Amino acid sequence: MLFLSVSFVTLFVVCFVLYYILPDKYRNPLLLVASAIFAGYANWMFLLVALAISLFTYGAGRLIERTNENKAIYLLLGSIAALVATWISFRYATSFIFPLGISFYTFQAIGYLIDIYWGETKAERNVATFTLSMLFFMKFLSGPIERGGDMCAELKKPKNFDYEQVVSGMKLMFLGMFKKLLIANQIAPYTQGIFDSVHEVSGLQLLMTCLLYPIELYADFSGYTDIALGGARMFGINLTLNFNRPFVAKSTSDFWRRWHMSLSFWVRDYIYVPLTAELRNLKQWGVFLSLIITFTVLGVWHGAGWTFALYGLIQGMILCYEMKVKFLRDNLHKVVGRPIADILLILRTYSLFALSLIFFKMSTVSDAIYYISHISFEAQSWRDINIGMPDHNCAVAGASLLALWIFEYLNANYDLGKSIGKLPAFVKWIGYFVLVFIVFLFGKFDTESFIYIQF
Amino acid sequence: MTKQEVIVQVERIFHEVLNKTDIILTETTTAKDVEGWDSLTNMGIIVKVEETFGCRFKLREIIKMKNIGDLCDAILNQKNS
Repeated sequence: MLFLSVSFVTLFVVCFVLYYILPDKYRNPLLLVASAIFAGYANWMFLLVALAISLFTYGAGRLIERTNENKAIYLLLGSIAALVATWISFRYATSFIFPLGISFYTFQAIGYLIDIYWGETKAERNVATFTLSMLFFMKFLSGPIERGGDMCAELKKPKNFDYEQVVSGMKLMFLGMFKKLLIANQIAPYTQGIFDSVHEVSGLQLLMTCLLYPIELYADFSGYTDIALGGARMFGINLTLNFNRPFVAKSTSDFWRRWHMSLSFWVRDYIYVPLTAELRNLKQWGVFLSLIITFTVLGVWHGAGWTFALYGLIQGMILCYEMKVKFLRDNLHKVVGRPIADILLILRTYSLFALSLIFFKMSTVSDAIYYISHISFEAQSWRDINIGMPDHNCAVAGASLLALWIFEYLNANYDLGKSIGKLPAFVKWIGYFVLVFIVFLFGKFDTESFIYIQF
Repeated sequence: MTKQEVIVQVERIFHEVLNKTDIILTETTTAKDVEGWDSLTNMGIIVKVEETFGCRFKLREIIKMKNIGDLCDAILNQKNS
């Protein structure tokens, strides 16, 4: 069941109405039933796998908490090994159908068990609350990867109907649809066309696609996340922020604090920090080694194959390089002035990410190397520059992207919500209707799927 | 050794590792309050603290350090044990 499908809209609306009609004690059970329907809608096996992993994690968490520290480590390692083995079996064995959402809720489960072992959170007593924290339908398919303890606490809060919160959730869902329908879906068929035929297209088309793909991926994935966060907020549940204007990052380390934050913070807390602690006698080389291992795991999380491993490895290597030459970055503004230095650093960070995404996107390393080595700046025609996108798509995606960037800038630097809140009600609602009308008029509804669902 | 004395020494370590002399630490200071104190530089600070105070933290102790006060408590616990 996908967010932009009729079946999801029906489930969401019915669940939302019942949620606020029913007394508080029935609300989480209702969400659990809705989440079970959501998870098992395409294939009941998906629900079965998610339930099995949830119950296993629940039991393991209780056991780890009750066991003394010396023995608990074996329980923890055994549980993590079982979860990882299950995940790898489904991820890499072609004889199984890949259960939707498994990479996301398995990582939540692992983090939850480690937090219990570290004493950072208590094991959840209520099995239904814990299962809901794993299966909650607004985050089931592609995260955010929640911290188990925080999610359970969030679910236990009393949730009375809050008009402001519901409206704020609706606005966030709308923003997600705006990104998906007016930007990602407009670009996707044309970038995919280039990625499918890298040996036949021109060098400039390779370059333009390389530069466009991060925007498409951002509009798609952060669009999905906005819908997830907005929908959850309408039920009074706050999920973790996953994106924070990644394309204003002036370094790759800053970028990873803004892009797919729930995954990058997960690998930081559960892989990078323990590794650097163990390797700290190696001083800076310990940090470098930890970065390389951590980001390679982050790459491999996306799927089997050397391309994903290389994608992560490249990120790790860039971070090591940035640590070594930090003084250059810090002093660039003294040479060219602050505004130009900022622009150069932003462009450099974006370009490095765009180039590394070639490994993320291509199915073989040789294709990725071919792609990068054949990029050129020579333009033969307008079709080379627009990668075959019709003018209509270019205009819609371009104008929407500009509007999005202005919105994000204003939202980050001024309290946009408060300013809009001060406007007269009829002005606000005319604005909302115009925006919805624009999305329906120009939105591209031909694909319901999101890129990160495959992970 | 008092907690305040520990904070003063830790502050010097921050100045040295982060190469900034304008950092002022209090018990409630967190990584969000100090520019440059992040996951990339944190372990460098921990190593310097361990060298200076002659102690060795366990991973769990490092995980529990949420602010400067926690770091100083961990140092004092090791010194007093």
